[in-house]
Amino acid sequence: MMSLRLMCGIMAVAACMAAVPASAHHSFAAEFDENKPIKLSGKVVEMRWSNPHAWIYLEVTGQDGKPEKWAFETSAANGLFRRGWRKEDLPAGTVLTIESWLARNGSKTVNAGSILLPDGRRLFAGSSNPNAKQ
Amino acid sequence: MRTLLTVSRGLLAAAVLLTPVSFAFAQEQAAPPAQGGGRAGGAGAQGGGGGRGGGAAARPPAAPIRRLPDGKPDMSGFYNAAGRGANYGLEKHERWSFMPGGDGIVIAPADGKLPMQEWAKAELKQRQRPEFGYDDPTAQCTQAAGVPRPFYVPSPFQILQPPGTLLVLFERMSWRQIPLTDRPHVPDTIRMWHGDSVGRWEGDTIVVETKNLNGKAWLNEAGEILSHAATVVERFTPVNADTIRYQATITDPIVYTGPWTIEVMFNRSEGELLEVACLEDDQDLQHLKDIKDEARAKEAAGKASPAK
Repeated sequence: MMSLRLMCGIMAVAACMAAVPASAHHSFAAEFDENKPIKLSGKVVEMRWSNPHAWIYLEVTGQDGKPEKWAFETSAANGLFRRGWRKEDLPAGTVLTIESWLARNGSKTVNAGSILLPDGRRLFAGSSNPNAKQ
Repeated sequence: MRTLLTVSRGLLAAAVLLTPVSFAFAQEQAAPPAQGGGRAGGAGAQGGGGGRGGGAAARPPAAPIRRLPDGKPDMSGFYNAAGRGANYGLEKHERWSFMPGGDGIVIAPADGKLPMQEWAKAELKQRQRPEFGYDDPTAQCTQAAGVPRPFYVPSPFQILQPPGTLLVLFERMSWRQIPLTDRPHVPDTIRMWHGDSVGRWEGDTIVVETKNLNGKAWLNEAGEILSHAATVVERFTPVNADTIRYQATITDPIVYTGPWTIEVMFNRSEGELLEVACLEDDQDLQHLKDIKDEARAKEAAGKASPAK
């Protein structure tokens, strides 16, 4: 069951996301490969509110059936805050599907584009990536 | 400076608080643009970031320029620049790879093109290869991003005007303290990320000349170039109570064949600076280093095994 706070947070995100500039301290083009999009689903293990970027960690079932931990890079914590995100919005266990792009170094690290909730609503991760759906 | 956690706790005491946040943003979208926006666009072109470190309140039509007791314009406030994609290229450009497109902020030369030396064109092309992303100092969390980069990246800043000074605090935790004085620049042997800036009033405009740059900063994520030989002359001109026209003319005989000028508008909002402690959790740097190392290894292997 989605919390009221999460629902309200999503409302705020939807209203404000076009008003806040996306921000990064580095080139996404250098770190991620636009030719390697990937859509991953899993449960939130942790959301780390940190700088220069906030991170969402998902437990994803790998091709061998074993759980894998993937790291999803989002905007900076201040950028998410201005978009209406709040620290408690994605509690552990929340199921997400994230459209993203693989890192060039081959790690289980991706640039998060948009984040789909089970009910079909979408959160924008706030990166400068123009490929991300808002 | 308050941490995000503290701010978040305060605002989340009641979930219902988030609904007014949503309403405030909706109002911002509907607010009329400031008057006299100029070539680079007026208020609202790339706004955002109002309220307590974030939300924006509805604003009435822009008022006339505010004045200090001595009659000089009062430009103090919290601003976002209408950067128009300049962080990804100063010239007009289409989106490329993960880089958003941009309208171009170069107003001189008239064709909107940077008059780059031939070597600089080659250098720029090289910087745009993925393995050179590591070399952008801001990717390594160097917080003094040079001049004039912090004035068009998507990150807000606070302008203060203590007597005799123009003080700018950037959210990425750096600052410029510019004396409004006729003192000479520091000796040529002293080089700094933000250089040595000296300002003066010309009518309602603050004109700032910056020399003594260290030449290490990139102009943006696209890798555009400025050398230690550059002189940057910036002009801060209030258009109304909520908008500043910012122009910067760069003369850099090492990189460019002639001077060029950019223009962006600064739009006042109701926010405040938040903490961006870049070194806190910079996981990107290791990724970028991996990419650079791999490219160097491939290059070295290619040299060791020349094509037959």
